[in-house]
Amino acid sequence: MRGLAVLRWSLLGVYAALAAAPLLLLLLTSFKSPADATSLDLKVLPLAGSASPHAFAPTLDGYAGLAGGGEGTAQPFWSYFLSSAIIGVCSTIAAVALGTCCAYGFSRFRIAGAKDWLFFILSTRFMPPLAVVAPVLVMYRQMELQNTHLGLILLYTVFNLSLAVWLMKGFIDEIPKAYEEAALVDGYSRIQAFVRIIVPQARTGMAVTAVFCLIAAWNEYGFALTLNNQRGVTVPVYFAGLQGNISGVPWPQVAAGVLVSVLPIMVFTLLIRRHLLRGVTFGTIKQ
Amino acid sequence: MPRFCLALALSLTASLASAGDSITVWWAQWAPSDGLQQLGDDFAKETGIAVKVHQIPWSNFQDQVFLDFGNAKTSFDAVVGDSQWIGRGASKGLYLDLTAWLPGAVDMAALHPKALANLCEYPAGSKKYFAAPLETDACGFAYRRDWFQDPAEQAAFKAKFGRDLAVPATWEEFRDIASFFQRPDKKRFGCAILTGRGYDSLVMGYQNFLWSFGGGWGDPATFATDGHVNSPSAVAGLEFMKSLLAYAPAGAANFDYVQCLESFTNGSTAMMMDYFAFFPGVARSMGDKAGFFAMPGHAGRRACSLGGQGFSISAKTSPAKQDAAKRFIAWFLQEKQQQAWIRKEGGFTANAAILKSPAFRSATPYNAALADSIDMVQDFWNVPVYNELLAAAQRHLGEALDGTKPAKAALDALAEEHAGIFAEAGLAK
Amino acid sequence: MAGMPGTGGTRMLAWSFVGPALLLLIAFNLFPLAWNIVLSFTNADLSGGTWEWVGGRNYATIFSDKSFAAKYGAALRTTALFTVLAVAIELALGFALALALRRDFRGKTPLLAVLLLPMMLSPAVMGLFWNLILEGTYGPLNQILGLAGLSQPAWRTEFKLLCLLLVDVWMWTPFMMLIALAGLNAIPAQLYEAAEIDRTPAWRVFARITLPLCAPLLGLAVLLRATDALKQFDLVMAITGPNDQATQTVSALLYQTTFANQKVGLGAAYAIVVLVGVIAVATLFTRYLDWMAARQGREG
Repeated sequence: MRGLAVLRWSLLGVYAALAAAPLLLLLLTSFKSPADATSLDLKVLPLAGSASPHAFAPTLDGYAGLAGGGEGTAQPFWSYFLSSAIIGVCSTIAAVALGTCCAYGFSRFRIAGAKDWLFFILSTRFMPPLAVVAPVLVMYRQMELQNTHLGLILLYTVFNLSLAVWLMKGFIDEIPKAYEEAALVDGYSRIQAFVRIIVPQARTGMAVTAVFCLIAAWNEYGFALTLNNQRGVTVPVYFAGLQGNISGVPWPQVAAGVLVSVLPIMVFTLLIRRHLLRGVTFGTIKQ
Repeated sequence: MPRFCLALALSLTASLASAGDSITVWWAQWAPSDGLQQLGDDFAKETGIAVKVHQIPWSNFQDQVFLDFGNAKTSFDAVVGDSQWIGRGASKGLYLDLTAWLPGAVDMAALHPKALANLCEYPAGSKKYFAAPLETDACGFAYRRDWFQDPAEQAAFKAKFGRDLAVPATWEEFRDIASFFQRPDKKRFGCAILTGRGYDSLVMGYQNFLWSFGGGWGDPATFATDGHVNSPSAVAGLEFMKSLLAYAPAGAANFDYVQCLESFTNGSTAMMMDYFAFFPGVARSMGDKAGFFAMPGHAGRRACSLGGQGFSISAKTSPAKQDAAKRFIAWFLQEKQQQAWIRKEGGFTANAAILKSPAFRSATPYNAALADSIDMVQDFWNVPVYNELLAAAQRHLGEALDGTKPAKAALDALAEEHAGIFAEAGLAK
Repeated sequence: MAGMPGTGGTRMLAWSFVGPALLLLIAFNLFPLAWNIVLSFTNADLSGGTWEWVGGRNYATIFSDKSFAAKYGAALRTTALFTVLAVAIELALGFALALALRRDFRGKTPLLAVLLLPMMLSPAVMGLFWNLILEGTYGPLNQILGLAGLSQPAWRTEFKLLCLLLVDVWMWTPFMMLIALAGLNAIPAQLYEAAEIDRTPAWRVFARITLPLCAPLLGLAVLLRATDALKQFDLVMAITGPNDQATQTVSALLYQTTFANQKVGLGAAYAIVVLVGVIAVATLFTRYLDWMAARQGREG
């Protein structure tokens, strides 16, 4: 058993160190000057005035740069952040709500061709979004959904829907039918039973599903870049814009932006961490 | 709430009032667009026509523009499009034909003939114009002036090569200097050249060798590629380019514009190839340490890759907007405005007289080299299928640099693929 | 749930639960699919204009010997290789980490937070940042290797697919770990208690209890990761661009055709061909899931 413990701790230690190194570098870079970010010497010590070749003078310029005013930045970071928040939150709520309803339907009712429908839902996840981009663009042109928040909200809802249905179906399948049957006997309607019994029971699943949907919507790049260039432009596009900088990529500003933009997801994840660890079993492990 | 309603009403009336006399220009998201916006604001003060320069990330600029052209009406009235887009814009009816208007509205004699030919005219030699020159950029070099001027380096160089350490006029001299400064153990490297695979930088870098070694992309009349793309001169140019990678930082076989820039500004590289558009930033961050020179030549021939964009008007916007855009272009190309343009960061004029003037040549450390470079710019294909040609060239040249294929074999395959693309597009004769 | 009577009323109710989601999915998948089929027989162009019917020419182009081997075939091979390697490494690492993290210890929550962070970051941006990390001379990775006296490979030129794999593994191993950890947590404790009483050796406990009980969940995790890896695009765009032979995945090829080359018709034909492959893979996976469900049913 001693051997196993050594193995266990060394695996954890080595992996955590390797995985955290780029994150640490991201954090350090956000406090560097642009020159220190591409320096020939490894700059890892945030010590102003140190003689070490590995020291750099920390600065908040990267974070200040997010307020805008640099070259080629028509809008500050925060306006992109706001769009991301609106689009991310709305599409996540929509995907979780629609996914939960749909999963409940497939879990509790006999639906003609249920198997085929579920297969269809799953198969949409295999489709590279680029394979549908041309028709979606035509559709969006016709419906004037380009350059709107709604356009991306709809799209991200759809992208996340199959995941939401499959995740939620696993959770709802696990909720004993007896709960609702009791409620129905008590005079609840089906809808009431769903809202009052199933939804509270499935909270864990909904929280877990929401994290995954939010991460996907928050970070989606291809459609965000292609569909919206004037209104509803999201954070990943902000970083694309910084690449045209004629003084080189402002790495400290990129790093600062990455860290700031991941904060909401990080906080949300930490809030529901217990659900995450207990929840993601998709109903595959019967208690 | 009432105040909010009032503000809303005011902004609505403002937008109604300006609907007829404002224009939207699309360009990439970078410093020169900021400069163009400032000039646009001056134009608005003089004429009452507001100019909005909308900036789109470079990585997506082309996609956005051509997607928008798919609409019945474009979101922009004018677009500052890459030189190679002109064939597509002209032959698909996306760019407004300016042939009849441009010579009457603009002093054509003032425009540098290379800029006019490469940024505005399609097809080549036809005297048909679909753009006016806006940003006239070229490939050039930045170098470490402080290293070149160091007496110890100068003496060591003279002892080794028997001549003075000076800005190279030929590629052979360039290679000597690059090899001289290549000291990996001291983290010093000879050169960084454009070799990136992301979009077009490898082709833009390679052309500087291709043309000066006497090769070319093909016959512009017949679109024949065999014997051009894979000619002995082209092979020699590619092999020479590859030989320079021995005097470059590790990983320099895949250096995009940004990696070239970063390897120079971090102080490790003696000579760095890039577009002049990046040199204002270099001059700012490196100060006196950096000097600049135009592309070296080979056997008496010199050439460099064109950069920059022309100013085109959308064929899919209202005649009123088109007229307003024309007024802005004509105004922009007046000498007074061009004098203002060259003071904006990365604003590069096509005005031949300004480019020749001593005042311009000495205004920045890179202007003289820029002006010399404009005299020798050439461009990649600008036919409607240029993107496929570019992608094929990037792939095959990349194989040659990576060593998966010898230069000759890579260029043979490229000539064949290019021929196929021309045949499919109905251009080959 | 069997046994719910299929009366008209409940049928309406059932469809009102599943209907909205299905409608959205149909609108955004079946309509584009139908449209793609139409486009794939034309020479449609990105910037609109007139199209002409070109019959099966786009398909002929895709399957013409030379073009197929050089483009579509290569993209399929790259995508398959990338998917298999990425998912296998992530599964192995993620499961191992989950086993190591199973028991509670002080500092577990902050450690988990750090381990999970990579999967929350934007691949498009982190791809760019990794390009900096992997840069030959001024990239921190090689600087560290240099300080340690090790050799400093030119990652971005000689090991492009490896770079892609490295970043994908860094980003998505946490996902596998998270799901495996949830699975491990869900295994009833009394099974282990029983094993302890019987003094079953640890490897047998692992082989008889841990692995079989986690397997269905890991299968699902593999499915979810594989669907994403098959679509890999953001990292490719950021790390090598869409046109690099070494890393041109199917998505990158679709982008290159439809956007860079602006050949929407040909791109649509590629999309249809991709779709056929997609349906085949999805069918295989659902077969697997059915089989799992059946097995669960037998055991449970």
